[in-house]
Amino acid sequence: MSCAQTHLHKVELETKDYKTEAKPFWCPGCGDHGVLTGMYRALADIGVDPNYLVNISGIGCSSRLPYFVRSYKMHTLHGRAGPVATGVQLARPDLAILVNGGDGDGFSIGGGHMPHLARKNINMTYVLMDNRVYGLTKGQVSPTSQRQMKAYTTPYGGVEEPLDPVLYMLTYGASFVAQTLATNVKMTAQLIKEGMEHRGFSFISVLSQCPTFNVIDDAKSFKGSAEELQENHDVGDIDAAMHAVNVAHKNGKIPVGLLYRQERATLDERMADLVKQAGGHPDYDLHKIIDLSRP
Amino acid sequence: MNKNDLIIRVAGEGGEGIISTGDFITQACARAGLEVYTFKTFPAEIKGGYAMYQTRASAAPLFNQGDTFDILCAFNGEAYDLNRSRLRPGTAFVYDGPGGDFEPDVPEGVHAYAIPMTQTARQLGSIKAKNMVALGALSQLFSIPEQPLREIIAAKFTKKGTTVLESNLNAFTRGRELAAALPKTDPWKMEASAQKRDVVVLSGNDAIGLGALIAGLDFFAAYPITPATEIARYVARHLPKRGGTLIQAEDEIASLAQVLGASFAGKKAMTATSGPGLALMGEMLGMSFMSETPCVVVDVQRGGPSTGLPTKHEQSDLFMAIHGSHGDCGRIVLSVEGVSDCIALTVEAFNLAEKYQCPVLLLSDGSLAFSTQTVPYPEPADYPIVARKSWDGKGDYQRYVITDDYISPMAAPGTPGGMHIATGLEHDQNGEPNYTGANHEAMQAKRFRKLDTVVNDVAPVEVDGEGNADIGIIAWGSTIGVVREAIARLRADGHSVKGFYPKLLWPMPVEQYEAFAATCGKIMLPEVNYLGQLAHFIRAETSLRPVSYTICGGLPFTPAMIVGKTKEMLS
Repeated sequence: MSCAQTHLHKVELETKDYKTEAKPFWCPGCGDHGVLTGMYRALADIGVDPNYLVNISGIGCSSRLPYFVRSYKMHTLHGRAGPVATGVQLARPDLAILVNGGDGDGFSIGGGHMPHLARKNINMTYVLMDNRVYGLTKGQVSPTSQRQMKAYTTPYGGVEEPLDPVLYMLTYGASFVAQTLATNVKMTAQLIKEGMEHRGFSFISVLSQCPTFNVIDDAKSFKGSAEELQENHDVGDIDAAMHAVNVAHKNGKIPVGLLYRQERATLDERMADLVKQAGGHPDYDLHKIIDLSRP
Repeated sequence: MNKNDLIIRVAGEGGEGIISTGDFITQACARAGLEVYTFKTFPAEIKGGYAMYQTRASAAPLFNQGDTFDILCAFNGEAYDLNRSRLRPGTAFVYDGPGGDFEPDVPEGVHAYAIPMTQTARQLGSIKAKNMVALGALSQLFSIPEQPLREIIAAKFTKKGTTVLESNLNAFTRGRELAAALPKTDPWKMEASAQKRDVVVLSGNDAIGLGALIAGLDFFAAYPITPATEIARYVARHLPKRGGTLIQAEDEIASLAQVLGASFAGKKAMTATSGPGLALMGEMLGMSFMSETPCVVVDVQRGGPSTGLPTKHEQSDLFMAIHGSHGDCGRIVLSVEGVSDCIALTVEAFNLAEKYQCPVLLLSDGSLAFSTQTVPYPEPADYPIVARKSWDGKGDYQRYVITDDYISPMAAPGTPGGMHIATGLEHDQNGEPNYTGANHEAMQAKRFRKLDTVVNDVAPVEVDGEGNADIGIIAWGSTIGVVREAIARLRADGHSVKGFYPKLLWPMPVEQYEAFAATCGKIMLPEVNYLGQLAHFIRAETSLRPVSYTICGGLPFTPAMIVGKTKEMLS
């Protein structure tokens, strides 16, 4: 595996240089402020050139984030940030791709795309901002909401089991899986940095409290449940990663830290090999292709 | 009928080599300097079911699949039953017998030739060679050029080893011998053209792939769907040679999403699908229009609605192509007549998408998808290529700045100072969200007014005929080719008829429709759908009141049908 980080064009900038003039529109106390701060730090720590950074989101409270990050960016459709980002990445492997979005965006309406981003190992960093509720539509249960949650459309309490995004991404074959809390800006920044430096599909789940609509999971309860991975946790062992998540579940805990990292070829690298094998070149003579259709 | 205009239909069970037999005939005729136009139907299932391949060959240009066959070759009883009603005095009929699964009651006047295809193939040791026995017999009976056929058979089977090749060539020779022993009673004979033409033989789907390569395609994303998948197959084979990227997406929503991502990144990108896929892309088409991100979407139409008739012909996606997506959503819609258009209009679709920064839909259809046709050798340099308007790097960049022509320069990632957001939210000229009424009105006007010049940017609509006529026929898609021939026949019968063949379906060249109608007594509009979709738009946008002639039986029109309807309207 080459160590060349061709997808990270670097410059020397400070965190403030990644801020735009737009002020975040999130509620006071929203975890998304913390995710954004962590993201600024990660970008500055790496020194990502904003001209070569593409920040892509879908729809939801957290999907407004690109407006606050100095970069090229796309604010796409609900659930579709992943495939749009795939197109950008495959077309231009020299770009750094940063995707962010919520739990409904990524695991309900966009849930069909997640396995393919992971198994194809598209070189991007996907930051899930999981508040376990639909915020922009004023508080409905999401696929990660705890079952008993009373909400807008569940006045008698929810009846569905939640899913665990981290467990899904491990199963789907993501080559980098981590989890952190929005209140832990330092860890969030560190994991986003590592995720962006990783060549492949990096998934970072950030539990990001919604003080307005989620009355079950607040900053305090997230902190109380968080449990750092053991110091001897082997990030190269998929079984260890699954085991850590399952044990935490049983104990009502949220595992935080880097769960899993695997070095494997990205889709764009495999495609580049294909082109190489075909002797591919933009100036390849079209007549040679057309001649194949002579009778 | 002109003896140099022959139609051979080979029919039987899917998997018996029907399609390859038809391909051999087609390629041999093209090699012999003839024009070909083929028509196929096959079942939606992989194994079994009725399959049919029809080759029309002529020394003169061909525009459609013709009325009906002159020669039928039936591999089994089902093929015979399904085609028996079309046998008429003079038709030549070749069938598997004795030893086949049926005994035909040949209608009077039909020239029947019994060739023991199954029996002979068994004797030669391979039932798989049944179609080669048939091909040999057809070649002998109707003078399908033997030498080109042998060359094509060799080219196809050499890589499978000498045993396979020999076995096929033996079966072919045996077929010729069996036919030579029968007295020829029909008049049909393929005559090689003296004229040497520089042509290629392509299906509609392959030609769209080629057109995209000529246009400079960089990125292709698609999800498998009948009858569009061959476009992806062609592109997958050849795009890597040009250094481009193809991805098979997880669904059609993702296909178009990936295309928009690649286009934002500065690349020429397209997807190809059929009706069900286009339905899924509706929301993303709106994103393309709103964020002014160029994309080309090919829709190879099939029978609908819902899963419908996946392998059958229909022209019924026009409503969706023109207005599918929520809100007021503009786009450009083109439709192809034949294989030649599949190349030229795919290039045009890219040019328009890149110039106008909006979705461009290209409509093809199920029969054209698989129809192979001879077209003049496409010289890539003959197709003009248009690039998108790029930011010159001067001053402060505004992605959605309102310019004189309403088209804003684009900046691809990596351009210093060109950072911006492409967004589906209503936005101001900087891309910042803005929901004020005044801004929405101004930006909608910007996105629509840039399209005002599209009508003048493409070739004027072809008008077939001059002066005034009793009846004018408007047609779109592959129906145009049928109408061309019908009009020629009507004129030969002394009728006064004109044709109008739009390829740009949206925006509508309203003035050209009006000018055409002013020269015609009545207007007729044949289209293969139930509702009369183009007629609907014409009634909405122009003063014309066309008489709709619609069919939706899974098959295209024939020239005879158009001639019949026109005569009915004239009387």
